[in-house]
Amino acid sequence: MLHQKKLRFSTTGRGTYNITRQITETIENSGIKFGICHIFIQHTSASLILCENADKTVREDLNAYMARLVKDGDSIFKHKDEGPDDMAAHVRTILTQSSLSIPIYKGKCDLGLWQGVFLWEHRTNSHKRNIAVTIMGES
Amino acid sequence: MVYQDTIKLAPQEHGATDITDLISAIIDDSKIKIGTCQLFVHNSMSSLLINDTADESTKSQTADFLAQLAPTSDGITNIIDNSMDAIPSAMRTAIMQTSISFPVNRGRPLLGTWQGIYLWERTTQPKERKLTVTIIGE
Repeated sequence: MLHQKKLRFSTTGRGTYNITRQITETIENSGIKFGICHIFIQHTSASLILCENADKTVREDLNAYMARLVKDGDSIFKHKDEGPDDMAAHVRTILTQSSLSIPIYKGKCDLGLWQGVFLWEHRTNSHKRNIAVTIMGES
Repeated sequence: MVYQDTIKLAPQEHGATDITDLISAIIDDSKIKIGTCQLFVHNSMSSLLINDTADESTKSQTADFLAQLAPTSDGITNIIDNSMDAIPSAMRTAIMQTSISFPVNRGRPLLGTWQGIYLWERTTQPKERKLTVTIIGE
């Protein structure tokens, strides 16, 4: 059995956005009980991560660490047409990932207790982000 | 349905090579219309990534940044941030991927407008690279 759906999220600047609920609902609507949920973001300046969902300071620290690691307007960057945050956003995306594959068990994401699925927006302005979810398995 | 093909890529120069069309052709051969496609490189000196296709300089600047982040073991210099320890070249392997996966829809990679698939050759002495493509779907 296979189910594919496109989700769309509005982001309002840099940071992590919890999308676990929307992914879980997509799996429930598919009717698939055991299998794999593949999540893919169709952009090069925003990425996907699994991260702790309990204490929001974890994600604030991730933002701070990434800001220190990959600086906006780094002097080695020549790609500047779309602003100082753009090339930094491409590098941040590459250092994380564009897809996640999560097992499905009894109709739910088989995540650890404190794992959440997050969209990590790396651009400073508001954006609409498309995510393709492909669910494969058995009912 | 599962379709798997292992291909040998001719030696590519150091840096990123766009393989989107090559992979699209393999997906087309599989006749699978909807599903996922996984790519896997069988070595630890090249990597796979999905990167921006709009501006050529994006690729080279990503390469420059990664070279700073994980310099080669000869003459490690800490040029990014004095509070960070120097990162050995092994980190480059850890932060880049040997496999990537993306959805397939209507028999084509379901990529964003500006996304392309790249093989990133990290050695300066390129070799033929083995790449396995596994497509699962209907």
